[in-house]
Amino acid sequence: MWPFDGQAPSLWLALYLLTFALHAVFVSYVLAGTAYALVCNDAIAERVRDRLPFMLGCGITAGVAPLLFLQLLYQKQFYTANLLMGPRWGAVVPALIAGFYALYLAKAHVRERVRRLALGLAAGCFLFVAWSWTELDQLMQDEPAWQAMYASGRRIYGAATIYPRLLLWLGAMATLFAIVAAWWSTGGERKRLAVIGLAGRAVSALAALWLWRAGGTVDAAAHGWGYLLVAALVAEAAGWIWLLRSPDSFALSLVTGSGAAALLCATVVREAPRLALLDPPRASAMEASGFALFAITAVVGVAAIAWIWRAISRA
Amino acid sequence: MESVPYYPVNEFGPLMKGLVIGGVGIVHVFLAQFAIGGGMLLYYFERLAQRGVPNARAFVDGYFKILVLVSFVVGALTGVAMWFTTIQVGARTIGLMIDEFHWLWATEWVWFAIEITAGYAFYRFGPRLDDTTRRRLLLLYAGASWMSLFWINGILAWQLTPGAWLDGAGMWAGFFNASFWPSLLFRTAVAATLGALVACVVINTMDLDREGKAALIRRASRFAAPMAAMPLLAGWFMYVIPADSRQWLMGGSMPMTMFVAVAAGASTLIGAYVVIGLIVKKLYINGATATLLLVLAFGATAAGEFVREGARKPYTVRGVLYSTSITPAEVARLREEGAVTRDPYPLRDESRYPTPQLVRGAKVHRALCDACHTLHGANALVELTRTWTDEQLRLNVAKLQRTKAFMPPFAGNAADVEALVQFLRWEAAGAPASWPASDAPGTLAQIEDWLDQVGTSPVGGPR
Repeated sequence: MWPFDGQAPSLWLALYLLTFALHAVFVSYVLAGTAYALVCNDAIAERVRDRLPFMLGCGITAGVAPLLFLQLLYQKQFYTANLLMGPRWGAVVPALIAGFYALYLAKAHVRERVRRLALGLAAGCFLFVAWSWTELDQLMQDEPAWQAMYASGRRIYGAATIYPRLLLWLGAMATLFAIVAAWWSTGGERKRLAVIGLAGRAVSALAALWLWRAGGTVDAAAHGWGYLLVAALVAEAAGWIWLLRSPDSFALSLVTGSGAAALLCATVVREAPRLALLDPPRASAMEASGFALFAITAVVGVAAIAWIWRAISRA
Repeated sequence: MESVPYYPVNEFGPLMKGLVIGGVGIVHVFLAQFAIGGGMLLYYFERLAQRGVPNARAFVDGYFKILVLVSFVVGALTGVAMWFTTIQVGARTIGLMIDEFHWLWATEWVWFAIEITAGYAFYRFGPRLDDTTRRRLLLLYAGASWMSLFWINGILAWQLTPGAWLDGAGMWAGFFNASFWPSLLFRTAVAATLGALVACVVINTMDLDREGKAALIRRASRFAAPMAAMPLLAGWFMYVIPADSRQWLMGGSMPMTMFVAVAAGASTLIGAYVVIGLIVKKLYINGATATLLLVLAFGATAAGEFVREGARKPYTVRGVLYSTSITPAEVARLREEGAVTRDPYPLRDESRYPTPQLVRGAKVHRALCDACHTLHGANALVELTRTWTDEQLRLNVAKLQRTKAFMPPFAGNAADVEALVQFLRWEAAGAPASWPASDAPGTLAQIEDWLDQVGTSPVGGPR
């Protein structure tokens, strides 16, 4: 099934997409959750503030895996875009450190003004990181622009597709946040989150329109995944509406299932234009051993994390 | 034949790239080793707490908060920063490491994920868990963090001593290389020491009387006892590294020897204080002294990491890739076609140079020198060569691997050598608006002759 053809790069691609989707869930909770906690002051915001540092830790940890597979798949493009953006790209790490500590400060017993300042700082840091990743993703795909960008010394790529893509992601992040947060909420809180989930999708739809007008396209090979994505989004929207009417029903499971399907389809659709740039697999990478070890360790890892989950659930 | 991959090159002002990667790397290594040692120490203290040792439980919970706030934030993110910085400094090196060891890196990621999950679970739920679950969770945390070290250590050790991997013996031969075990054991000893030193600082912040603190310090300081094995492990490491690398460290290169001395001296001071003062004499250590020892340990780590990085010269992966990100086979090819003939990236300040030869010289500098030198800042090439005569400069550049054995062979032709020589002279002269071209056939023929005499092989072999 396209784009997975059974060769070694397909395995890298599948692992990249899966781990990227997992990373997206956590960082969506962090970015949209930080914004929510900044703007609102209710029980949801209180819970979110409490969980934000943990979720950011999970987001960073989950982000290491796609970063690894990205370097296997698009080595030349990824490294070149890194180098072209230079110190401005390197600034994502201090931004994340500042944002991380700001989240810890926001959950500590501090005055409301300090808390809002901390959340504002964290939101700004995470927005900077999201914008930088969007730029990097687009710059990777624009090889004709590389030499001129290097010669000019500019560190900001600034293509027309950057802001609509970023907005599309921000909308999706709001929805993913709403899905995760809804599992820790009940009744009226879930209704509020349903509104956020639907609003997020509306923002993404508008951003997709903007992106299309700015020159963004859906790769022809990905049309099948595109149809699946639309079907998943329709099911998710129906689930949100059901949730609005009946917050404590099965609706949240429907939203979660369809939202997860939408995320996975969207990662493939997003990846499609870049697949044309795939490096021919390097012999050393193709011949590298250790997959069996990784597979066994992954099973051990999942079992260990499941045990931890069970142990703390009883606490 | 595949072309040499060219990447855009960034400069870091007066900082040479080794300082940039070194700065990030040292902080990361220090924090990562603290996390490993801290995890092991906490498991030990948890067992003590469950046997009824007073204040041990309070210590475990307090220490873990520091571990999470420091190591889980700055430690984890400087790990990501290491990848980004390595791309800035030597994209091809990290690419080769990823290609060869990606499944081991993925395996390491699984252990990292377990470590973080176990850590956060303990941080948040620890006080509410029963004794058995606390112990198991800490054991999982400590074991997972050490396993991260296990996998990364093999990849880093491979860079210096790839051994039978060079003969096609496969990835596992490269991973379990000659310096794998001494490095792993040495780092484990360092991790235990750092865990103990941080413990001494933390204990001094606890609301306990002096006797209570002293009792905990005595227990924590035992954890630094593996330091006693460090001289033996360092000797083992020195024994297995390539002979030329050993020679730099043992007096062949005074800056490297001084780093060795700093690392050894600082470690000896800490070891003597811990073993004689804390363990044998059971002395008390206050917060200020413990902090001072920790700073000293940071200095020892910094010097040790510089030694480890420097010992690889002129390679980033021994026998495979030079510090210029060029392979030995490519050097011979670039001698024919020129170092920058296929470099697609223009200079950022091309209008600054009055002649095409200087443009070429600047590009040669960017491609072959910039990885380790700056022009006017740290390890400044203009200053290193200022007092040389023109002929001496040409000879030393052409016969680079004989000028200094930790330099790679010059990967360009005679015109590249002359362009670089003129570029350095022009910079030394203050970058005047005009500069004569230097293309005398006799000069180029002489350089060509030197290049032929010296060949394209490095002075040291691949092992």
